[in-house]
Amino acid sequence: MNRSIRGCLLATGVSLAAMVSMAPSVFAQEAVIVLASNEVGQPMYNPIKGTLLNTANSMIYDRLVAQDAERGYHPHLAESWEEAEDGMAWTFKLKQGVTFHNGEPFNAQTIVDWIPLFEGSENAYLVAAIEKVEKLDEHTVRFVMKHPDPNMLYNLASAFMGVPEPKAFVALGDDFGVTEAVGTGPYRMESFDIGLETVLVRNEDYTWGTPLAENTGPAKFERLTFREIAEDSTAYLELRTGGVDVLLSVPSDFLPEVKQEDDLKLLTIQGRELTYMVMNVTKEPFTDINVRQAAALAINQQEILDNIYNGVGLAADTFLISALPEAKIADEHRISYDPDKANALLEEAGWKMGPDGVRMKDGKPLEVALWTQSDSTFRRLTEVVQAQLKAVGISGQISTFDSAMIRDQYKSGEQQMAVRSYIWDNADIVDWFFGADRLGYPNISMFVDPKAEELRAAAMTGSKSSAERVANFTAYHEYVLSQFPVSPIYQPVIGLGYNTTRVSLPDSINAPDINSTVLIDMAPAE
Amino acid sequence: MKVGTFDTRSGAIARALATPKGVIAGGWLFLVVFVAIFAPYLTPYDYDIQNLPNAFAPPSAAHWLGTDEFGRDLLTRIMYGARTSLSVSSVAIGISVFCGMCLGAAAGFFGGWFDRAVTVAVDLTWSFPEILVALILVAIMGPGVTGTMIAIGVAYLAQFTRLTRAQIMAIKSETFVEASRSLGAGHGYILFRHLLPNALTPVIVAAMLATGDAIILEATLGFFGLGAQPPTPSWGALMSSGTAQLFKAPWIIILPGVAVAVTVFAINLFGDALVRALDVRAGLREA
Amino acid sequence: MLGYIFRRLLLLVPVFLAVSVVIFSIIHLIPGDPIDNLLKIGSGPEQREIITARYGLDKPLVVQYWIWLSGVLQGDLGTAIVARRPVADLIAQALPHSLTLGLCALAFSTTFGIVLGVIAALNRDKFADQAIMGGVLLGSTMPGFWLGLLLILVFSVWLGMFPVSGARTWSALVLPVVTVGLGGTALVARVTRVAMIEAAQRDFVMLLHAKGMRPLRINLRHVLRHALIPVVTILSLRIGWILGGAVTVEVVFARPGLGTLLIKSLNQHDYPVVQACLLILAMAVMLGTLIGDVIQAAMDPRIRAALG
Repeated sequence: MNRSIRGCLLATGVSLAAMVSMAPSVFAQEAVIVLASNEVGQPMYNPIKGTLLNTANSMIYDRLVAQDAERGYHPHLAESWEEAEDGMAWTFKLKQGVTFHNGEPFNAQTIVDWIPLFEGSENAYLVAAIEKVEKLDEHTVRFVMKHPDPNMLYNLASAFMGVPEPKAFVALGDDFGVTEAVGTGPYRMESFDIGLETVLVRNEDYTWGTPLAENTGPAKFERLTFREIAEDSTAYLELRTGGVDVLLSVPSDFLPEVKQEDDLKLLTIQGRELTYMVMNVTKEPFTDINVRQAAALAINQQEILDNIYNGVGLAADTFLISALPEAKIADEHRISYDPDKANALLEEAGWKMGPDGVRMKDGKPLEVALWTQSDSTFRRLTEVVQAQLKAVGISGQISTFDSAMIRDQYKSGEQQMAVRSYIWDNADIVDWFFGADRLGYPNISMFVDPKAEELRAAAMTGSKSSAERVANFTAYHEYVLSQFPVSPIYQPVIGLGYNTTRVSLPDSINAPDINSTVLIDMAPAE
Repeated sequence: MKVGTFDTRSGAIARALATPKGVIAGGWLFLVVFVAIFAPYLTPYDYDIQNLPNAFAPPSAAHWLGTDEFGRDLLTRIMYGARTSLSVSSVAIGISVFCGMCLGAAAGFFGGWFDRAVTVAVDLTWSFPEILVALILVAIMGPGVTGTMIAIGVAYLAQFTRLTRAQIMAIKSETFVEASRSLGAGHGYILFRHLLPNALTPVIVAAMLATGDAIILEATLGFFGLGAQPPTPSWGALMSSGTAQLFKAPWIIILPGVAVAVTVFAINLFGDALVRALDVRAGLREA
Repeated sequence: MLGYIFRRLLLLVPVFLAVSVVIFSIIHLIPGDPIDNLLKIGSGPEQREIITARYGLDKPLVVQYWIWLSGVLQGDLGTAIVARRPVADLIAQALPHSLTLGLCALAFSTTFGIVLGVIAALNRDKFADQAIMGGVLLGSTMPGFWLGLLLILVFSVWLGMFPVSGARTWSALVLPVVTVGLGGTALVARVTRVAMIEAAQRDFVMLLHAKGMRPLRINLRHVLRHALIPVVTILSLRIGWILGGAVTVEVVFARPGLGTLLIKSLNQHDYPVVQACLLILAMAVMLGTLIGDVIQAAMDPRIRAALG
């Protein structure tokens, strides 16, 4: 006990001292940025061990591969790459003249040392297909594969494959990403107060920015402070009062207000999130595909978009976000609002309209439990879904759970309907949520279908090339939608709000999410 | 220690109502309870029918307090909210009073290791902020009104255990109890005939005051998205959804908060008046 | 006196063990599994087994408890499951924020509570009394998060006097302290007022009056001193509030304190963190009660005499 208590007391003293010495300072060379509320509480800047990585990670660590808004792949720390015909090897040519924050060079040896660090970590699956890494020359490496992985580039572009300096990583152990974080990125970490803020200072040597950004040299701001604010209204009030300069993700409630304010500007980019309603195909009344289809068609995506999200974002009609090639499916498989058909289907299924606006069959009302998370945005969305279901005669009873508990509840398989969302931009999300071996959670719909399993196997392991993978996943995705375990609702955009008197940003962004590609172009306002 | 019988207690309410503070507070409480009970007959709109195009309408002749984010009449929802908030908090306090009295009476009456264990446990839970106790219990019990009632009930349990125990300890050695005992009365007879009735007066006052705290606690749980499930309104849930509209429609968060503050204020004023009328030792409310 | 303190400290040992059992069992009663938070899309079932085994979550609960308790007794609070950092680190980061807010709020409510309580008692049943007691009461009947948001709206947004949130500057502390402190002010003012009125009726006070001492001097030097005993008792009994009483206010003002950490960990079912937070709160409460008793004893000559 002694040690930890003393640690606590010591920290108290230190932080009190810090509070006295630190005055609120806003220089033109410094910008204060608020992280999205779902990024609050990241415990460490450690891409290998971390399970939650906030946007500031991309400012510290560069990746081998960068992605554009259309999910195409571009060089970053890797100048070029080549995939072997049979998918059993990948060769990467690395950029020259790159150094880490601690002065260590970035070269082939870095990659050879880095990949094995994943072993046994939460993120090990990212490199699970790699047998070993061979150094071909000072700036060329080859991944020898255990089996083909058409997802390789996607993994390399993910935040978890930002490249840390392997020697520092090993030397610092648990302190890596807490007391020090060593990458090649445009900023280095100066201080990190978990749950409060992270201060980054510019890496003056930086000349290896991605070609996707206008600026490939050192960043324009000397210091960036990333603050963590969990409460949405508080974050917005900070932006509005000039307490901060940028909100990385303006809470949807405040999007219209940011648009209206003179000094504030909204920059929107396609997000990676998709909101949907899911039905348990093993529970009455959703064992009947007609009832499932009716419920799916009862959802008025446009009304939700206009009234809940103030018209910002997209009405979703597939289970995948629209930027993915696998989302380009035939029109007849898209799911959108059709109340007449919904009513007709329910009639056909034997559910007749009762006196109080709820359909009845064999003396039983069409009542279902409607689950969702207790966050205010989910509650609000679910209230509208409830009203829309009621309009076709389905009575939903809302129950809200916190995010950890609701997963546990799903495992019971007792759910009937749920409103949820996911954040992911790869087609393998269909496998994750509808694979027959993950019933309960993540397969909340308890969807088991032999044909779907065949298509799934082809998509997951039967694809040799990226093009083949796209085709296979498109077919799998289409088939799942045709069985109506789900109704897509809404695809949010990420709205970056900023104070135009303090910072300036380009009008368009070529990135899949807000990351260093976006923020390196941020400059002090003139 | 004053001995209050049922007669003096009902007389006390009359005496409490005779003071100006008592009248105002009592009047407001009567109004709130009346509205809560008869909400379906008094409200001009349905609390759950949405009218999305009419969202965020400011106060007007048609909607005296404006509308919320789904175009529902805010006055209607506050009136129904009184129903949820009052019933949750009073049932919760009912639970704490019942269980607290049983525990406290047993501890005070039997003494010994049981008394010591109860005292330690009670001291500990009492010193934890109720909101933490309630949050953890809601997590265990799951969502919905029932879980919330039990959670709030347990959060305030310690207070009543403590109070009852103190009362029983004080009266236990009084002469009339000793007399009864020497006449051969059993444990149960003494406990239920002599001790509990005499301990009841301060407990009633404390229960009244705790109901006010429970209303705030219910509202706070609502702020965290716990408690009554949508579309059922409660004061806490109304404020929680109002936080997002702080600029656009400030009345959505301000008015339910005013309802909470004024009602809890009235409960406290009336409690004070009752304390004076009953002539219970004034310090008891802090016990 | 020292013997008394020692005996009380010794008594804490069984209580501490009992508390640790209760905390551990309560946390494991909460349905849910922290591992779900760690599994990322695309990872397989073997990943779950690896993680479950790493945190010893596959062992029987009794064994898990024993491992935890023996760790705690050796000063090791364990490693957070979701946050993947030593729990002691997380708490060391959060504790100062809570302590600063809690202690400042305590100072606020004690100062204002005692001053207002004394003024009210000296003007018993007059207008000032009614106004003060009504005012502090109203301050305590407003839900903290609601009051906090309104204060932000008025003082930060409209008047621009204080920052909206944060924990770096003293000015950012003002609004949260007022929000938390107002709740406690009513309690302190009330107890002070009642205690003052009661103490003023004591024999020795009558005697001082009869001796012709100035009333102000009597009230401030003698009456107040006696009246403070119940105030200290009340404050010491609610010591847990210093650390955990500001949960909602911490959330509204974005302060990464113990309350915020506890709620976040509770939502993620990060058992070791929740257990450690609760244990620290419980210990603070136990020590607080002890300190309160000691101060009380030191202030009351009769108890002091009895204890030798």
